[in-house]
Amino acid sequence: MSAILLIVVPLLTAFISILFKKAAPYMLLIVSFASVVALGYMPLEVITIGGFNAPYGINLILDSYSLIGLYIVNSLFFLVVALNCVKYKKMSTILLVSLAGLNGLLLTGDLFNLFVFIEVSGIAAYLITTTNKKPLATFNYLVAGTVGSSLYLLGLIILYAMFGTLNMADMANEIAISGASASATAFPFLLMFIGLGVEAKLLPLNSWTKGILGSSNKLTGPIIAAVYAAAIGFVFGRLITDLFLINISEVLEIVIIIIVIASIVAGEAMAFSSKKVRDILLFSSIAQAGLVVLVFFYGFVGWGVFLIIANAAGKFILFVVANHASDELGTDEVSSLQGLFVNNKVVGVAFTVASLSAMGMPLFLGFVVKMNILGDLFSEGNLLIPGIILVTSLVEGIYFVRLLIKLWYKEDNLPEVKYDFTLKYVVVVLALLLMVFGVYTAPIENEADNLNTISFVEGGDL
Amino acid sequence: MKNFLALLLTLFLGYMIMSWLATNEFFPAMGDVDVTTRVSQKYIERDVNGNSEEVVFGEATNLESGPANTVTAIVADYRSFDTLGEVTVLFVSSLGVALLLGGTKQRRLELNFHPNFMLRVGSRALFGIILMTGIYISIHGHLTPGGGFPGGTMIASSMLLLYLADDEFRAKVKGFKILESTTGSAYVIIGLLGLLLGGYFLENLLVNGVLGDLFSAGMIPIIYILIGLKVGSEISGVIDNFLTEEGV
Repeated sequence: MSAILLIVVPLLTAFISILFKKAAPYMLLIVSFASVVALGYMPLEVITIGGFNAPYGINLILDSYSLIGLYIVNSLFFLVVALNCVKYKKMSTILLVSLAGLNGLLLTGDLFNLFVFIEVSGIAAYLITTTNKKPLATFNYLVAGTVGSSLYLLGLIILYAMFGTLNMADMANEIAISGASASATAFPFLLMFIGLGVEAKLLPLNSWTKGILGSSNKLTGPIIAAVYAAAIGFVFGRLITDLFLINISEVLEIVIIIIVIASIVAGEAMAFSSKKVRDILLFSSIAQAGLVVLVFFYGFVGWGVFLIIANAAGKFILFVVANHASDELGTDEVSSLQGLFVNNKVVGVAFTVASLSAMGMPLFLGFVVKMNILGDLFSEGNLLIPGIILVTSLVEGIYFVRLLIKLWYKEDNLPEVKYDFTLKYVVVVLALLLMVFGVYTAPIENEADNLNTISFVEGGDL
Repeated sequence: MKNFLALLLTLFLGYMIMSWLATNEFFPAMGDVDVTTRVSQKYIERDVNGNSEEVVFGEATNLESGPANTVTAIVADYRSFDTLGEVTVLFVSSLGVALLLGGTKQRRLELNFHPNFMLRVGSRALFGIILMTGIYISIHGHLTPGGGFPGGTMIASSMLLLYLADDEFRAKVKGFKILESTTGSAYVIIGLLGLLLGGYFLENLLVNGVLGDLFSAGMIPIIYILIGLKVGSEISGVIDNFLTEEGV
């Protein structure tokens, strides 16, 4: 089965679904489930479109890196849809388009095609966030996102003018053989980095995040904070490893590291001082996005992938639980959610597992990932970055524990929130996965060492 | 003061960018590029999959890509997948407009001028001409500048004329929806047929014919007509959404 079907089938269904509004949610459910199942039948290959070989035609790359990305994005997307397709019927067609766009982001091997998919998935995201009923925040997101993707496009135009190709592999090759100095490509790389940084929520490009995730609902919270964040993380990983790192100047390196560290530190600090559950979660995901980029930047592709997975699964649980409560109660002040888990023990345990994994406690997936990243950094003789990660993890630990204590303990006057069976089932399964892979670490450590994107410059085999 | 600072900052950044580009030896000046070393050369010679013969207008037959218009050859053949993506961008945008502005019961927005009889009749006469031009541009996209996107926008502009020149006019929006859906699906299905029969998604299955003939370039004119209709109906739908309001 060709991986192009992952993009084309949701698209075709989207086009058809505008005529059958009643059936649209079921089409969405079936297609998003089928995408997950179909992944098992796709061989690792480079897919040529239209019969024209790269770099002249567009190609899609299904290597082990994009396959693992597709698995996590499609599964979480299906779960979001399963939890929401009844309530947000009107969004069905848009969600189908966004699925096509996200799969395109992960698969494409062409820099301009990547821009097209950034647009497709971006516009779908703006529309999905209109369900927050905060038009101004959505408008801010739209403006920030559009300016960001335009900057990416400008960077790409300059690169095209310099090297005359759009294909990622060919671009990497051309840059490598042209002997261009690192400063010659620094400016377009910076523009592209900024463009993607907007979607990835890096400081100072993330002004939209608070408006969108701070008032998110059960649909927008998990889909933006978990699904989209994971997809953009994978795109970042591919561009950094296969393009930016080929020819990076020292100044650009410093700029990027400063941006990333600022995101981590400021994100954790803001989360620490927040009083609302959704705010705490959104600031912590800004910090995590920074960490993901940092890990890719130091070349630990495998651990970057697992960090994305741990974050996506964790944030999915946290946002679903928090958003359900805030949808029911109309508020997400920690003080009014106090004692939420006294009557919802199952959900509470899953939430606890997810937050313990996020702060990097032993026995959970987040710990395995953070531990190995720190170990790898130390063995490279880098002391500053691990220090920052350790201190921010400590801050993270404090505010998550503080939050958990409030949510677990209260004597009377408990908030009345009921979680339905599907939601409980989904969060418990995800939490179990975080625990299983936190204890049984052998397969992950094995996989992380081998996992890499195709090296374009060396000719690239799968 | 804030605006002034913003202006200064923008000018400074602009200067930095320009001077950076000017001193960068790998960023060629306009017209200085050696095209033979770039992908563009093979698009012009239709040489991606190997073609040793010279491309002559009106004579060359069955090239790997049939449109006489090289821009179309790139946009709708070599990089057709991007075009499918752009069509999707427009699709989801018009869907968003309908989602935000469209309600169930709608009526025309009150204009504060009322077009007179002559304007109404005259615009009907013009409508046909603009529509025909739009369709012509779409159909001849593989031969002359233009194609599905500009052609479709012209089709929509003829609808806009009717809306502006007649304050009672409402198009049948349901028809737009059906057109939009069928043309979009047809584009994807053509692509899937290519995958099924030829082995590549969006592969051109028909013969390319003689370069420059109206009936040449295989699938490309068909795809461009579909895109023209799709773009036309989508933008017309957007116009209708902007010129109507809720309530009866």
